[in-house]
Amino acid sequence: MRSLNSLQTDATTRARFVWLASRKLKNDGSRVGLAVLILTFVLVGAVSAQHRISLSGDLEGKIGYCKDCHGVSAQGFNGYYPIPRLAGQQPEYLQNQLRAFIEHRRTNNIMFNVAHSLSPAMLSALAAHFASLHPPPIGGAPRQLVATGRKIFEDGMPEVNIAACAACHGPDATGSGQIPRLAGQLYPYVIKTLNNWGKERGQNPTEPDTSAIMSPVAHSLNRSQIEAVAAFVSTLR
Amino acid sequence: MKFRPPKQQCRSAVRSPAGVALILPAVILALSFTSPSAAQDNVSKEQADAKLRYCEVCHGVSAQGFHGYYPIPRLAGQPVEYLKNQLQAFVEHRRTSNIMFNVGHVLSPAMIDALTTDFNQLNPKPVGGAPKENIDEGKKIFENGIAAANVPPCASCHGPQAKGNGPFPRLAGQLYDYITNKLTNWDKERGQNPSQPDTSAVMQPIAHSLTEPQIKAVAAYLSYLE
Repeated sequence: MRSLNSLQTDATTRARFVWLASRKLKNDGSRVGLAVLILTFVLVGAVSAQHRISLSGDLEGKIGYCKDCHGVSAQGFNGYYPIPRLAGQQPEYLQNQLRAFIEHRRTNNIMFNVAHSLSPAMLSALAAHFASLHPPPIGGAPRQLVATGRKIFEDGMPEVNIAACAACHGPDATGSGQIPRLAGQLYPYVIKTLNNWGKERGQNPTEPDTSAIMSPVAHSLNRSQIEAVAAFVSTLR
Repeated sequence: MKFRPPKQQCRSAVRSPAGVALILPAVILALSFTSPSAAQDNVSKEQADAKLRYCEVCHGVSAQGFHGYYPIPRLAGQPVEYLKNQLQAFVEHRRTSNIMFNVGHVLSPAMIDALTTDFNQLNPKPVGGAPKENIDEGKKIFENGIAAANVPPCASCHGPQAKGNGPFPRLAGQLYDYITNKLTNWDKERGQNPSQPDTSAVMQPIAHSLTEPQIKAVAAYLSYLE
């Protein structure tokens, strides 16, 4: 783990390499290979990083590194996994989540490695940068689900104890403070996240976090309701 | 509360004459449990608990209030009568909130009884977080009013500890930005049905007379009261 502490490395070079590799592998159709390659490269980069001069002040480099997976304007990207949009995200939420990865409250090996090398100053600079971006949504969700999704988002389903998403995420799904923006988020990412809530968030029982708020909501929504809400928010600007 | 005899048992019971004798009372029992009036008058502990968890998604753990996209009010310790009045006001569009209209209009009277009693009995610590520099001024306004501006002491209706009483809401521990929001927007949110004036009219001139710094001072003071 000593080497991972110094994962402040030549992010731009590595980023370009991963990009090229991902393009090639994508063309070959080997998505598993892509994920393995990215992960391997992150780890290799981490090992070699300890011999390099720390570039923690290199914000531009780090931003390039993030966008490599999260999309050119951080609008999200369908890699092997759906990789979430960070653009326009609430800075407090971004910082909370990066800390959750580091503290293993949120499970994701790749993001643990990414986050765990970030200095507090870098963390807040990145969060501020991503919050300032406003690319259009990627789109691609089934349009026929949008109307149902809007209804659930705005009104909830009081009969079955599902709260209106808008109460916390805002009428335009822009989020607020520790509550994330959902507008423009990737359709498959929202689905995956709601389906796996209990397995991915709040994973340290001794340190409960804000993810507990969503836990009963995620549990109560059925598959088609989740898809409808995901389709609706994915279209919002 | 629905009574559903296991299907397997029913089928085997019907086959024998003795079974018919058994099943008739069972059917009567089932009907009596599922009749509309019984459903409205009874709320099981499970149903009430599930609804309470649902309320807490937005109103915070132990209903202490929560900063969602909007400041979402503390309900803990609120008088039952006030809570019932407000739910009624949402349903009748006297108080504007699309979300709370939807929430309120599916609640049966029995569920409203159960929920309001539960909220009234909760007593979590205040959320806190308000600026502290004008708390003394807020306390003064709360206890003495501002005679020169025709603002009566808040304590005269809300009580010396701001615990409220009957139709008067508890303000102790209420969210700072929720109070400032309400007092600033009183006319736009409350008493919205002119043909059906309600108790919100009592606060209307007071909300109007308070200046912005006075509202903030009172809100800060109240938000720290336990």
